[in-house]
Amino acid sequence: MTVKELKTEEFMVNMGPQHPSTHGVCKLVIKMDGEEIKEITPHVGFLHRSIEKIGENRTYAQFVPYTDRIDYVASMNANHAYVIAAEKLGGVEVPERAEYLRVIMAELNRIASHLVWLATFAIDLGAVTPFLYAFREREMILDLFEMTCGQRLTYNYMCIGGVNWDIPKEFEPKLREFLKIFPSRVDDYEDLLTNNPIFLYRTKNIGILSKETAFEYSVSGPSLRGSGVKWDIRKAESYSIYDRFDFDIPVGYNGDAWDRYRVRMREMRESAKIVQQAIDGLPGGDIQTKVPRTWKPPEGEVFTRIEAPRGEMAYHIVSDGSTKPYRMKIRTASFCNLQVLPIIGINHLIADLVAIFGSLDIILPEVDR
Amino acid sequence: MSLVRQTTNGIYNLILGLAVTVKHLFKHAITLQYPKERWTMPERSRGTVVLLSDTETGKLNCTACLMCEKACPVAAITIEREKNPETKKFEPTSFTIDMGICCYCGLCEKACNFSAIKLTGKYEMSIYDKSELIYDMDFLQKLGRDVKYEKRKRVVKKTAVKKATAKPKTTEARAESGDKKAEGTSSTKDDGDVKEKPKNETEEGKE
Ligand code: SF4
Ligand code: SF4
Repeated sequence: MTVKELKTEEFMVNMGPQHPSTHGVCKLVIKMDGEEIKEITPHVGFLHRSIEKIGENRTYAQFVPYTDRIDYVASMNANHAYVIAAEKLGGVEVPERAEYLRVIMAELNRIASHLVWLATFAIDLGAVTPFLYAFREREMILDLFEMTCGQRLTYNYMCIGGVNWDIPKEFEPKLREFLKIFPSRVDDYEDLLTNNPIFLYRTKNIGILSKETAFEYSVSGPSLRGSGVKWDIRKAESYSIYDRFDFDIPVGYNGDAWDRYRVRMREMRESAKIVQQAIDGLPGGDIQTKVPRTWKPPEGEVFTRIEAPRGEMAYHIVSDGSTKPYRMKIRTASFCNLQVLPIIGINHLIADLVAIFGSLDIILPEVDR
Repeated sequence: MSLVRQTTNGIYNLILGLAVTVKHLFKHAITLQYPKERWTMPERSRGTVVLLSDTETGKLNCTACLMCEKACPVAAITIEREKNPETKKFEPTSFTIDMGICCYCGLCEKACNFSAIKLTGKYEMSIYDKSELIYDMDFLQKLGRDVKYEKRKRVVKKTAVKKATAKPKTTEARAESGDKKAEGTSSTKDDGDVKEKPKNETEEGKE
């Protein structure tokens, strides 16, 4: 009997819910033909905490700590998305210094988030060293956050009308020190990975996401830019004070895992550039506009969106004029980005699925909310 | 030809990566041997919640105004209070914080006008039973004994106390009358709070 005559059949494999490379609790049901993937069905919802419903039962100020938990790797950005929406709803002016501090924190958090992504992506592909280096640099950012707001992960830093804490005096020298060494550290990561033949073999032409598919599934963030679409809310629909800074939007060409990697690596450098400009131009003054403790925004609804590290994060808040929102809808990038996995993941080997999943940079609390 | 090129390129990049690793071999360790060594927590660190006492009298600063209870997003704080017949001021009879559900957001500290509640850098609070995570008033006070803090200005405190005592209300009555009444008192108190806070902080930032 030859191999061709052997009767083979497709079989199902459960990847997750507890799988180290799903970075959270996500179950992928994979139909396999030998080593090849024929179909992927993501099962989400394991981490559902009904944050939107909680938002309708908390006052506007009380909801800020919850936004930290939507995207715990980039809490500052999640805070930012919410406070911008609430401020627009209530017509609250934010002091200039607070805006600068917000941008500094949000961009530092973007770097930290990309570092976590880089570390876990590399370790998924078997490279352990970048993991340690990336976490070392992330530690410097977390130290900055900790000295400012007292927490390392769930910051609750921004509040409606400004920010909760001003930066302490040790912050600036530490930040400048970080900005000085950071570009060389990115060079180190790139030396380790970018042209490493094993890494290239694992990521080049793997999980190609075409522009059209990306549009159809409203993919956003670096995953979209990896496909060559120059779309960044910071530039396209500038919020906060991003229009004052000079930075580029890195894009890829093929939309494969390697392009998404390159986009994120270059984004880290761009973010460092923004932080540098922001700290140089940091004005003095107040950090908070007075907002009464029981704050009632007028009736109406708002929709705002920001560029979070994983893509567009948007808030739709409907207010009925009371202290709590009437309805809150949160759009998170990871949920949409996950939807393309069944399309770009098929006809690859199962080992490549880890690379594709990692390159999309999905965070499960954001998928489920 | 391209194969040769690819191979040399590959080897070059592998060595490049290896060089980075070797470079780090001679740097000192950045890890800490935890139980033997400990981080010094920054001043603003948000860990265990404690109740602060007056440094002179040793009594709790808390006036049982219930602002922190209202501000807490997860309802971790439960306060019962009683009016002291002598001073005609409210005093907490029981003050419990459920550390198991506390999310260390710091909103209670922000809400308190009397420097009575604070999040500290204490973080070693592992216990064997969940029920032990419900901290009562005495324990919270004990935790807060050695915590240094800056008391908010007396002026703010006095006016705020006047307002609080001017409208004597039991917990139930306040709860029944709904948000509106509580709002009146809270927003007036808030003014004092907000005025002071950014000032302190901007000064800190400029130094
Ligand atoms: S806000 Fe301060 S004074 Fe008022 S009950 Fe809470 S701890 Fe006591
Ligand atoms: S830190 Fe936040 S969750 Fe904890 S008791 Fe204070 S307000 Fe409640």
